[in-house]
Amino acid sequence: MAGTSPATPARADRAPGPRRDAPAASRLAGVARQMRGPLGALVLLVIYNALFNADAFLTRQSFNVNATQVAVVVIVGVGLTMVIATGGIDLSVGAIMAISGSLAPIIFLADSAPWATPFLGAAMAYVLPVLLGGALGAFNGGLITGFRIQPIIATLVLFIAGRGIAQVMTGGRLQSFREPDWQYVGLGRPLGIPFQVILMLTVVAVAAWAMRATTFGRYVLAIGGNPAAARLAGVPVRRVTVAVYVISGLLAGLAGLIEIAINSSADANRIGLNRELDAIAAVAVGGTSLLGGRATIVGTLIGALIIQLIRFTLLTEGASDAVVRIVSAGAILVAVLIQRQRGT
Amino acid sequence: MDHQFTRRRVVAVGGAGIGAAVVGARLVSTGKAAPELEKKETYKVGFSQVEENNPWRIAQTESMRAEAEAGGHELIYTNAAGSATKQIADVDSMIAQQVDAIFLAPREEVPLAQACLKAEAAGIPVILLDRNVDETIAKPGEAFLTFIGSDFYQEGARAAQWLAEEMGGEAQIIELEGTTGSTPAIDRQRGFRDYLAGSYTPDPRNMTAASTPAAAPEGGFPGMEVIASQTGDFARDLGRQVFETLYQANTGATAVYAHNDEMAIGAILALEAQGKVPGTDVVIVSIDGSKEALQNIIDGKLGATVECNPRFGPIAFETLLKYADGEEIPTAILNLDKFYDESNAEEFVDAAY
Repeated sequence: MAGTSPATPARADRAPGPRRDAPAASRLAGVARQMRGPLGALVLLVIYNALFNADAFLTRQSFNVNATQVAVVVIVGVGLTMVIATGGIDLSVGAIMAISGSLAPIIFLADSAPWATPFLGAAMAYVLPVLLGGALGAFNGGLITGFRIQPIIATLVLFIAGRGIAQVMTGGRLQSFREPDWQYVGLGRPLGIPFQVILMLTVVAVAAWAMRATTFGRYVLAIGGNPAAARLAGVPVRRVTVAVYVISGLLAGLAGLIEIAINSSADANRIGLNRELDAIAAVAVGGTSLLGGRATIVGTLIGALIIQLIRFTLLTEGASDAVVRIVSAGAILVAVLIQRQRGT
Repeated sequence: MDHQFTRRRVVAVGGAGIGAAVVGARLVSTGKAAPELEKKETYKVGFSQVEENNPWRIAQTESMRAEAEAGGHELIYTNAAGSATKQIADVDSMIAQQVDAIFLAPREEVPLAQACLKAEAAGIPVILLDRNVDETIAKPGEAFLTFIGSDFYQEGARAAQWLAEEMGGEAQIIELEGTTGSTPAIDRQRGFRDYLAGSYTPDPRNMTAASTPAAAPEGGFPGMEVIASQTGDFARDLGRQVFETLYQANTGATAVYAHNDEMAIGAILALEAQGKVPGTDVVIVSIDGSKEALQNIIDGKLGATVECNPRFGPIAFETLLKYADGEEIPTAILNLDKFYDESNAEEFVDAAY
């Protein structure tokens, strides 16, 4: 990487990064070319379902079901895509979901607290858990940049401790509730579209824009490509690294709220369980390199949709859960192998 | 070559030694009766809980604690946090502390059977709660005094009985199964299906229960068809997602049988999100009898739920005291579980766990 000029961070040329001189149309074509594999798989799955599974699939209801089921994974996956683009990993997102999801009901179910006016209580039950998620992300980032602990170990700390913290907060008890106003984040249907789906698309759009068109996005890819070169090039490596873990924490916090809102209950033992793995799978299938330096947010959306549709297709065909798991794993393997061949 | 040969022989001999040690360690139950229990005012008893991470287990522990306190007994409580290895160590430590008796809610059938044998060898009677151990290794009435629990097979049959009656013998059923391979999931599925197929016969040990369904009618209910069945892992979130998908594929479904209340509530939430009316468009029956499930029955969303009572305290200590008095204890005591539907949900909702 010695030949890389400091002005263009290492391997950014491989990234779906901005080519400021390229016209919009060719840029789009570039994206399509890069996404060819995952997009093709998704299209095949849609066609298969449309042909052989039409009654179950070609309905608005089925769109809603699939979109809502995938929303949480995508929102968490967007944060993970950024983390992975820096060459890191965040195993703690499921645990952060559990913490934020356990905190929210404690806030809005408290009767005697000073914030117990309906509006303030609901607002704080949105804001505080998400901020706490961000703070936990900052903790991860601090361990990684400040103490130079490898990301997989640093985030393993919260992965292990986080669910315990959530259990201590709730005494291990299931909190169940009916707060229709607050649960809008999971149950709202503006214009018939589930609110969480709008939220998911917004998160994807903003993150995709940030990764392609902002300095921040270039920095993230530069760090993943070659941290040493990035540092020499004047990239604020520490700050950007902490920032991606904060973003991952914030999004996990938000995802935790969606999950409890849909279920009308918060169970510290279950919220976000294995979500980190679902999200990592979506990122990998979507075409982001787990080595860092290359990221595609839209790919993560497509990756999550592929896994979701495989599951949906098999379940509607009456396959057992065991078969669903094996086929999903096989699909992940195939997707990653195809990308490996093209990528090198 | 010589060196290699020697090493191989050492390995072989060592392996045989370990094998012999394993055989030796696998104690064989020899006693003809369970260890005796001296009659005393109060006892020092151990309670080895398997895990403490769901409302059912929490209610069970609270019930045991409350009953121990009421009787003035000293309760040594351990939580194995879902690990059989930890639970065996927990029982070892209770034996070392020379408790008078051990209440054991075993995690797995085979490993914890060995723990029963160790307690028997130490002369401490064991009472099993809610799950059994491998009875070919630990003989009931010897290695452990008795098993107290619910009859999962019967629970499934009771759910089927109510649903068949409610639906007039005609239903397209989606079944949400519990954790794959767990005893309650297996037996609740078997009981439900056997009843509908007409092959259910009640456990003779359970005939005292007033609410036991009689054997299913000859020929069963050919109109009651399970059209899709999938695991929801006893969890609300997974139960909801799995139901959403199965319901998409089977829009003609008229009933849901969930192996526990959490998954049933998941199905209710999924139906509501799709603009359907749970209880009207789709009739739901489940098992557990949690407070929230009873509230859903009152609201008309859940049809019925079979109680699976977590409050083991009273019956557990009563059995212990009876045994000390020299009474004959049957090798299995099945809980008299209630059945909740719209006729009694209101009455019991406050008392539910």
